[in-house]
Amino acid sequence: MLKSDKGTMPKSLRPGGGLEHWTERHLRYLMLAPTVLILLALTIFPSVYMFYAAVHRISPNPDLPWEFVGIGNFARLLTDAQFHVALRNTAVFTIAAVTLEFLLGLGLALLLDRFIRRLGFLKTMLMIPMMLPPIAVAITWKLIYEPQFGVLNEIMFLLGLPVQAWAGDVNLAMFSIIVADVWQWTPFIFLLMLAGLASLPVEPYEAAALDGASSWRQFWDLTLPFLKPVIAIALLLRVMDALRLFDLVFILTGGGPADRTKVLSLYIYQVAYRFADPGYAAAMSLFVLFVTIVLSTWFMKRMRLAE
Amino acid sequence: MATIRTRSRIRELLLRLSAYLAILVALILTLFPVYWIAANSFKFDIDIFAVPPEWVPRNPTLKHYDEAFVQRPFLRYALNSFLVAVGTTAISVTFGTMAGYALARFSYPWQWRKQISFWILSTRMMPPIVSIIPLYLFFNYFDMLNTKSALVIAYTAFNLPFATWMMKSYFQDLPVELEEAAIVDGDTRWGAFLHVALPLARPGLAATAIFCLIISWNEFLLSLVITLTEQSQTLPIGIAGRVTQYSTYWGEISAAGFMACVPIVIFAFIVQKHLVRGLSLGAVKG
Repeated sequence: MLKSDKGTMPKSLRPGGGLEHWTERHLRYLMLAPTVLILLALTIFPSVYMFYAAVHRISPNPDLPWEFVGIGNFARLLTDAQFHVALRNTAVFTIAAVTLEFLLGLGLALLLDRFIRRLGFLKTMLMIPMMLPPIAVAITWKLIYEPQFGVLNEIMFLLGLPVQAWAGDVNLAMFSIIVADVWQWTPFIFLLMLAGLASLPVEPYEAAALDGASSWRQFWDLTLPFLKPVIAIALLLRVMDALRLFDLVFILTGGGPADRTKVLSLYIYQVAYRFADPGYAAAMSLFVLFVTIVLSTWFMKRMRLAE
Repeated sequence: MATIRTRSRIRELLLRLSAYLAILVALILTLFPVYWIAANSFKFDIDIFAVPPEWVPRNPTLKHYDEAFVQRPFLRYALNSFLVAVGTTAISVTFGTMAGYALARFSYPWQWRKQISFWILSTRMMPPIVSIIPLYLFFNYFDMLNTKSALVIAYTAFNLPFATWMMKSYFQDLPVELEEAAIVDGDTRWGAFLHVALPLARPGLAATAIFCLIISWNEFLLSLVITLTEQSQTLPIGIAGRVTQYSTYWGEISAAGFMACVPIVIFAFIVQKHLVRGLSLGAVKG
């Protein structure tokens, strides 16, 4: 066991003294140090700086001093109707998109795991969407949704259904964003579920089959409990990703129409740059950070479970 | 008895058929949008706007590729994306591999191993919108806005934790005995890492590097805020810039968008065996 590596290097084997000796003795810290230092600089500094920014009113003019406003920016969170809209939109998007992706991905994985074990090349084809640049995905769907010449309205027409404005329609805009996200990320759930299913033990199923348990019972009593750690990881990663949705709305709707698709990331971006109010944007970011920390703490407890 | 068996066999057959049908539908739905952007990038404008749409380009043309990559600076954007991705990947994989190895093999006092592991993971969870304001103000202060190094620094913030966790999970899969044997044979601890563990982890190292390249290549929000000039903007920003309030340059963005996808699809095929691990930050071993 090298894990406690104290005893693995007899003194007689150590290279003689000096710098080399010192490096060797502190190797465990030296190998970790660059990463820890870089990440400290890149995460702790911004977080602290953000607290500082959040209690100030920052003028877009860099020559003007920052004005201390205390908890003023946080108090605005309570009364800002736009923020509440963004919060609701983010929640709606996250819940709807992740639920759909989960049901579709798990369903497809169960169906295929049972009948088509060797997917090989096909599987990689199905994986393509989630690897693509989100911007490419966004313009692709913009082209598909285009009201005048878009291919989706042509399909609606061929099916005898009314054509729609899709991303430009007040009632369908959020739905359009969700569909594009489901297209891109269902493969992710599908892939993780397939991996989970492939690692299931065989014996409990044989025992259950002997007892005459229906395949439905087997699914509830065996498959789901065994998959639980993988499901937890897949869902949490998706939720974290859905909470930071930006690229799709930026290209497809710009937050409109009538703020129906204005999500948190987009609103913070607008406040910080278009309305030039970084102090308030920082306060909102801290709120997002808080939500993320709560969720990721829960996630990491799950990770320990999977380790 | 016989009817029951026949009935269950029919049920089995129906389920099997529905599985094949499901995978066929999934394949069509997955691949059609990709085909559609590619097809439109080879059409003349008038054919892009055709109603009903032209399912297969009748007069294929490279006009939009010429517009995007010769007349407009998309080649420059692609080069910027490439340089930033390579820089970020080099830094992240180098330090991430060392840290991943340390966290997989060494013991630390006071449960540091666990604490540091999870702290590193938590930095990966930080939404980019959260760090964007301080990073913007920071780069502004040091006069680093509109530089590729600023992008490399910003991207390292989420690629380094990723690389660390990936490499940690690969090193944990390697047997310790080989490194122990090397040390008994007189190699140093560092030598055992360099000459024994690292070569064995090469497939994992390659996969991690490719994932870092993909993540950087695809990134949008940070680049949108940090870069405003042609010399520094990445491909996604270049594409987004041609979707304006007044008009969208469909042919051009289709050509550039499709070209942005091509290297990613190639990479996806190279790392297909590592996809599960890469996408779950090493948590699920596929």
